[in-house]
Amino acid sequence: MSAERDSASATERTTVSGIPLKPAYGPADVPEGAPATMPGDAPFLRGAHELGYRSKSWRIFQLSGFGNPEDEAERIRYLLARGGTGFIMEHDRMTGDHLYDVDHPEIVARREDVGISGAVILCAKDFDLALTGIDQGAYYAHAGGGVAQHAPFAMAGYWTVAQRRGLKLEQLRGTGQADFFLTYIGCPPLTQIPPGDALRINCDIVEFTAEHVPNWVPISMAAYNGADSGLNAYQELGALLASCAAHLDEIKRRGRVPVEQLAYALGGVSFRVAMDFFEEICKLRAARKMWHDMLVRRYGVEDRRALTLRTHIVTAGSAMTYQEPINNIIRGTVMGMAAVLGGVQSMGISAYDEALSVPSEQAHRQSLRIQQILMHETNIPAVADPLGGSYYIESLTGELEERAWEFFEQIQEHGGFIGALEDGFLHEVASRNALDFQDAITSGERKIVGVNFGDSDGDPFGIDGFEGSPDAFERAMERLKRYRAERDGSLVKEKLADLERTCRGDGNVMAGVLAAVEADATLGEIGDVYREVYGSWKFPVNF
Amino acid sequence: MEVPGQLLSSEEGGGGPRILLAKTSLDGHWRGINVVARALRDAGFEVILAGMMNADTIARVAADEDVDLIGLHVGGRVEVVERILDTLKQAEVDQPVFAGGTIPHYAAERLEARGVECYPPGSALEEIVGAARRLTGTEAEAQKAAAGTEPEMGR
Repeated sequence: MSAERDSASATERTTVSGIPLKPAYGPADVPEGAPATMPGDAPFLRGAHELGYRSKSWRIFQLSGFGNPEDEAERIRYLLARGGTGFIMEHDRMTGDHLYDVDHPEIVARREDVGISGAVILCAKDFDLALTGIDQGAYYAHAGGGVAQHAPFAMAGYWTVAQRRGLKLEQLRGTGQADFFLTYIGCPPLTQIPPGDALRINCDIVEFTAEHVPNWVPISMAAYNGADSGLNAYQELGALLASCAAHLDEIKRRGRVPVEQLAYALGGVSFRVAMDFFEEICKLRAARKMWHDMLVRRYGVEDRRALTLRTHIVTAGSAMTYQEPINNIIRGTVMGMAAVLGGVQSMGISAYDEALSVPSEQAHRQSLRIQQILMHETNIPAVADPLGGSYYIESLTGELEERAWEFFEQIQEHGGFIGALEDGFLHEVASRNALDFQDAITSGERKIVGVNFGDSDGDPFGIDGFEGSPDAFERAMERLKRYRAERDGSLVKEKLADLERTCRGDGNVMAGVLAAVEADATLGEIGDVYREVYGSWKFPVNF
Repeated sequence: MEVPGQLLSSEEGGGGPRILLAKTSLDGHWRGINVVARALRDAGFEVILAGMMNADTIARVAADEDVDLIGLHVGGRVEVVERILDTLKQAEVDQPVFAGGTIPHYAAERLEARGVECYPPGSALEEIVGAARRLTGTEAEAQKAAAGTEPEMGR
């Protein structure tokens, strides 16, 4: 770095998103009217509730799952026993994302990988094993199915087990996901249904839960994977709102569920929180105001409950380094603190061994402990929106909002969110940012401690990847064989044929998947129907 | 170019050594492999960015496309990578292999014992490009090109 550059970088600073920062802020920097509201006042920039976390603490909501269904049950019980207040089931990504049974040739070709990213869940009976010893009536749950094409299967499995255990669907509390960032931007599987068809299925989920599972959040847009692929803070905001708008527009057009009801259902979203501390806090504040403003202006919604955005966050996995992983505990803490100061309702902190593997039990517990320390030892949650009114915070919040609306409009110019996926616009923006970010690391302009700065000696703490359960493939093969033999094969066939007709027609796909899962149809069989009807989407990347 | 599996992009006719970049697991995260592919292209390599491919396909494409180096993006267990190495050996594909991705230390040791250099998260791009040049035997040409005596690397 030249001396000239050195002196320039001492005076010119930006956020990670490239927003220029002044050395100090004053009254003239605050957008008009910004801090004049109290928490609990519309447009809810300062939070939905006047009492902040005194009314309700955030939910400690960590991803849990690896190996066999029984391993997942054990890990969920472990976290609940230590203070988790809900749970997210994490299914094996290779079978789950693809809707492949474990005996699919592409799975067999990589059989040792099975179970490494989550538990292998092949049908409702596997859900029962994965929920052993867990009272579904007592906890708020995410049944898995972050990936759009996997979501109906995951929820159907969870609901079927609850019903078999004597619970009613109305009693269940939890959330779906089916977001459009995970596999349509972040990590595309070999095959997946096109996003336009996924949008239709998501609307079917919304209509189904509105009628039958009223306390379940049907879908939850999660921008995490857009952000970890490269979308910056305001692009993440704009894209998340655009993905919500795509759903709201479609539900409104279909006219079966009042848009206010959907707005409430869709108003539980998820962001990534990364290392730019103040920018991330401001992003979470701006998100609440933008949600309010979008619903009022674009949809004429008046219901207060629908106008208040609820946010879950996951701290950036990409911020966790392979080098000196113990430092990741600090990174998790800093990101978690930004989330609390931003006023989130729910949080998962990525584990310190993130760059090596899915979390070990110890790393998982550590993530939970960070949340508990923030919650109980720091007094940070005692006052709602404690940074509200700061010249800098209000200025940056306003700046992010302005830029996020610009990005939202750019997406509309590409035909809305689905159009911007189809034509690769979002991928291109993400890719460009990711490459720029890497260039800044290469040049040394952006310093990552232990990676390009600080002369790391490697791993002085002896942390290595978690090995999981190496028998997951063999055991899943045995179960699959047994399940197929035990069930009423002709009933399964009938339900799958019904599902195919529903997919081709205009019935409710969620209802069709539930009926098939209740008959013990498998993941791969549902996937075969989808592949037959919808074909495979071509990932629009040409970088 | 028709490549089975998940072909993300390919560039033909760059004239530099050819590298096949493939993902060993069915995890589609592409940020890392994208960054590496760009760095290799900028350094004059011709990159076939294949995405997810199983062992048989990697061996076939490596042979059919006459690649000079195979880069594996590891997102899963070391046994899967070892199967790919076995398959390459059986198919008599003897091009060098290097690997990046989330590779725990114990896995890196096993792969390095079989001659596969490992570049875990956080590795500098120049280190990866340097390895690609060394493994394709084009270091000297790259140095000449950098000095301006030769505009392009030969294959």
